[in-house]
Amino acid sequence: MTVPDRRRRIDADPESVERGLVSLVLTIVELLRQLMERQALRRVEQGTLTDEQVENVGQTLMALEDRMAELRDHFGLKPEDLNIDLGPLGPLLPYDS
Amino acid sequence: MTDPSAVWAYAVAERVPAAGLDELEGIEGGRVRAVPAAGLVAIAGDVPLSGFSEAALRRNLEDLAWLEATARAHHRVIAAVAEDGPVVPLRLATVYRDDASTAAALAEFGGQFRSALAQTRAHKEWGIKAYATRPAEPGAPDDGRGSSERGADRKSAGSGAAYLDRRRRELTAHEQARRGVVAGAELVHARLAGLADQSRLHPPQSPQLAGHRAQMLLNASYLLPDDRDGDFAAAVDELAGQHGELRIEITGPWPPYSFAGLPEAGQP
Repeated sequence: MTVPDRRRRIDADPESVERGLVSLVLTIVELLRQLMERQALRRVEQGTLTDEQVENVGQTLMALEDRMAELRDHFGLKPEDLNIDLGPLGPLLPYDS
Repeated sequence: MTDPSAVWAYAVAERVPAAGLDELEGIEGGRVRAVPAAGLVAIAGDVPLSGFSEAALRRNLEDLAWLEATARAHHRVIAAVAEDGPVVPLRLATVYRDDASTAAALAEFGGQFRSALAQTRAHKEWGIKAYATRPAEPGAPDDGRGSSERGADRKSAGSGAAYLDRRRRELTAHEQARRGVVAGAELVHARLAGLADQSRLHPPQSPQLAGHRAQMLLNASYLLPDDRDGDFAAAVDELAGQHGELRIEITGPWPPYSFAGLPEAGQP
């Protein structure tokens, strides 16, 4: 790829901007997915859900996981790409959840 | 000297090293010399003011290539001087206006330098990093499955409940494994800290910075008397054998970077 120097320096080529935006959005969605999953597991453990509700929650999370995997595949992202380094606060998502 | 210059200080020693400072190559290839004052010696070199004024330094420290070359030169000089006797390594970018202000700093902090030199005499610093051997598994569940398998065979009754059950077991197993490696790292540190005169825990480096995928669980420095480094190395070997869940890296010997700093130098 022969990108002119100037463009490379400001790094505004549309492809990389889009990729950055996509991984940012998917990171947030992944954060919500993990939070929902933990919340659901907690509710199931507490035993306050009916069997039907448990089944529905499970189906929903399963579908969400599949959808995330499809989106990652589509944009060529690996699971570990979906994270944000918050500096001294560490990563947004745990590395090994 | 046409270009106005400043004085870059590398380290403080008790005396002028016997090995010639002339042969050492300092920052940006500059010469290294001794600035004696108050019964101590600052190991220093002249640097052009144009590149090392406060503003220029702030800019340069952001430049990773510059930083790497400078840090290597800084370390090279300190390591050479440390072979001759105890040293207090100075923080990177300790710059004085001239010899007179360097001498004034030696006089002002003389007591602290002397006690740091006494504490680290015949001691070396060793670094230990421990990583989880299993690569950190990502937060997303079951990566083993290809996309073709996804969605197939899933809408049957009870599959949602089964999915939740499986995820709960996966997350629990993961949490237990994580606790295991953290506990292992704590045991390693406790054993090594017991052998050392002093120890310091540093924040673990992020996987990106360290260039490893594996998560760093222990990043520590230990100050050891020279006659105990064999025991230390043996203990590290033994711990590596006992803790299969960790990969243990040892670095050193280093000048006492983590132990001889002035109080206000703010160790990382």
